[in-house]
Amino acid sequence: MLMASLSPSPPPTSLSALSLKSHPSLRFQSILFPRKLPSLLLSRSADNGAGVVSSAPTVVQEEEKEKKNEEETPSPAVAEVPKAEDEQKSNLAANGAAVKAEAAAVPKFKDTRWVGGTWDLKQFKKNGETDWDAVVDAEVRRRKWLQDNPEASSDDEPVLFDTSIIPWWTWVKRFHLPEAEILNGRAAMVGFFMAYFVDSLTGVGLVDQTGNFFCKTLLFIAVAGVLLIRKNEDIDNLKKILEETTFYDKQWQATWQEDQTSSASKEK
Amino acid sequence: MASLIFTTTSTTAGDYIRSFADLRRQTRLLSGCAASNAQLGRRLPGVVRASRSSPRLNGRKLRVAVVGGGPAGGAAAEALAKGGVETILIERKLDNCKPCGGAIPLCMVDEFGLPLDLIDRRVTKYISMVRREVLDAYLRGRAADAGASVINGLFLRLDQPEGPGGSYKIHYNEYSAGGRGVGERRTEEVDAVVGADGANSRVAKSIGAGEYDYLIAFQERVQIPEVKMEYCKERAEMYVGDDVSPDFYGWVFPKCDHVAVGTGTLTHKTDIKKFQAATRLRAKNKIEGGTIIRFEAHPIPDHPRPRRVLGRVALVGDAAGYVTRCSGEGIYFAAKSGRMCAEAIVKGSENGTRMIDESDLRKYLEKFDRMYWPTFKALDVLKNVFYRSNATREALVEMCADEYVQKMTFDSYLYKRVVPGNPLDDLKLAVNTVASLSESKCLEQ
Repeated sequence: MLMASLSPSPPPTSLSALSLKSHPSLRFQSILFPRKLPSLLLSRSADNGAGVVSSAPTVVQEEEKEKKNEEETPSPAVAEVPKAEDEQKSNLAANGAAVKAEAAAVPKFKDTRWVGGTWDLKQFKKNGETDWDAVVDAEVRRRKWLQDNPEASSDDEPVLFDTSIIPWWTWVKRFHLPEAEILNGRAAMVGFFMAYFVDSLTGVGLVDQTGNFFCKTLLFIAVAGVLLIRKNEDIDNLKKILEETTFYDKQWQATWQEDQTSSASKEK
Repeated sequence: MASLIFTTTSTTAGDYIRSFADLRRQTRLLSGCAASNAQLGRRLPGVVRASRSSPRLNGRKLRVAVVGGGPAGGAAAEALAKGGVETILIERKLDNCKPCGGAIPLCMVDEFGLPLDLIDRRVTKYISMVRREVLDAYLRGRAADAGASVINGLFLRLDQPEGPGGSYKIHYNEYSAGGRGVGERRTEEVDAVVGADGANSRVAKSIGAGEYDYLIAFQERVQIPEVKMEYCKERAEMYVGDDVSPDFYGWVFPKCDHVAVGTGTLTHKTDIKKFQAATRLRAKNKIEGGTIIRFEAHPIPDHPRPRRVLGRVALVGDAAGYVTRCSGEGIYFAAKSGRMCAEAIVKGSENGTRMIDESDLRKYLEKFDRMYWPTFKALDVLKNVFYRSNATREALVEMCADEYVQKMTFDSYLYKRVVPGNPLDDLKLAVNTVASLSESKCLEQ
């Protein structure tokens, strides 16, 4: 367990090694409002009295401390450490949105099907075949968990899972087909009404439209629009992305484009 | 069709990066009359003169001041002195331990003939870890051996020359040997100035080079127990994630007898301590039981300054902003640009016998840009694609496990060129990348 006793102003001094199992953990007696982490397990406490929490958490997240700068850290108090991670987790679960004086522990990701750094496909069998949907679900959960509770990496337990073991049709069936259905639906609606309007305005029927260059251009724009613009924000996002692709180039060429004098400016 | 539009969820680069026109405009406000005088001077039509027609210097050699004694300054001063130019190298702190990852590629060891005992650690045979104080001192020593005079002083400002052939007057505080204190005010007249004084370059301010966006890199040096040091000895680790940095990475780099743990960010500088804590957490198993012996921070340029050359003043290294995105690598480019600039000066002055002018310095810019632009651009693309969100970072980590990727990356890193590979493998790689990104995005939910 990594502890850092850091004080807000002078340089930090030490990280002491504490193992989860044996040593008492350093804990700050003073009230430290945990910063709002994405994790649902922490909540701001408005009334940290004694600052000691009965259940678990051992790891002090230094960031809580540093960001908070409101309180000095007096001599760190020592508090009990929970016996094991599992208990920790169950405590946390039991407390739910319990008020904590200091940061929660960093519970590791645990799942019976996650074995040796990858998903044990044998445990995902359904009707004798691997249930890939369940694998995808499990992986989604794992990633979300890690995002909220980053873990220390370890070469003893490397992550070996590779998304490419999941067959392509799982992705297609689960993610791409529904999306394709929606987009095709939109394209069909837009296409139908565009064809109708063009017909009513110009008298060119559907079959004739498909031979006309201008109409084909409109069709192309409609398809591109449906593909690229899915939400309102996409219009701005696309503009930003376009600008982003050339922005770096412009920054590099700045020294060549001096004062609009033609002799000095050089295009890359 | 798979959705390839990765909406800019976490990156705020689009909002944050000021339009570079603003940066240019600032130079006019900042620079005051000195730069504008120079600008007026250059507006005259037909003023560009080839160096061949430059007047010979009578009875003296070309004098050049190199401001800043890091890798860029040291390399520049050495190349200048070797080329027969009278060189002074001004460095404010001769024992400076610049906060730096300290990773240099193999090509630098080759091209600059660095002795192997400079290198503390070898992470695979391609990446060498050095201590900056050791490297900088060595390069300065070589410059001194070649004939440059190394001055311990702090550059204050420079005065523009009066006329087209005039000299630059540089003002600096010279510190007496070993003595502390304010130092003595001195001035020198030189024909050209090479600004190698790093990210907060004063030479850049003097010429109104403009501002750049910069990252803050924060690093802690951690002394860890011997048994853990053994593990870290040959490994450099990089951590990616929103917890560690929204637009950069956290690292654990081995130094001689300790490790450097750090992270950096451009868009969320105020949260740097939080990111550092997250990096320490990720590296917990490696640095458990360690002691933080110091911590340091430094700006890292994100892109080159709008103006890198003005008159007979050129910027090199971090002062010019030659740091790659995505990886934040700058030592090699600093040394290389210093050397290139010096070589351009030597060539343009025909070994110090003629006066030079801006066109000679622009030749260095041209050469550098042409040689390294693909590398910088490739890393920019990598950053834009892979540092966008946690999903893309997962895809990046997955891709890095691929052997072909590793081979390509190492080759490019080794040679600092974008090395084309086998087209069929490239195609497979492209497909794999798209698939990886797409799958990762799907898993992001």
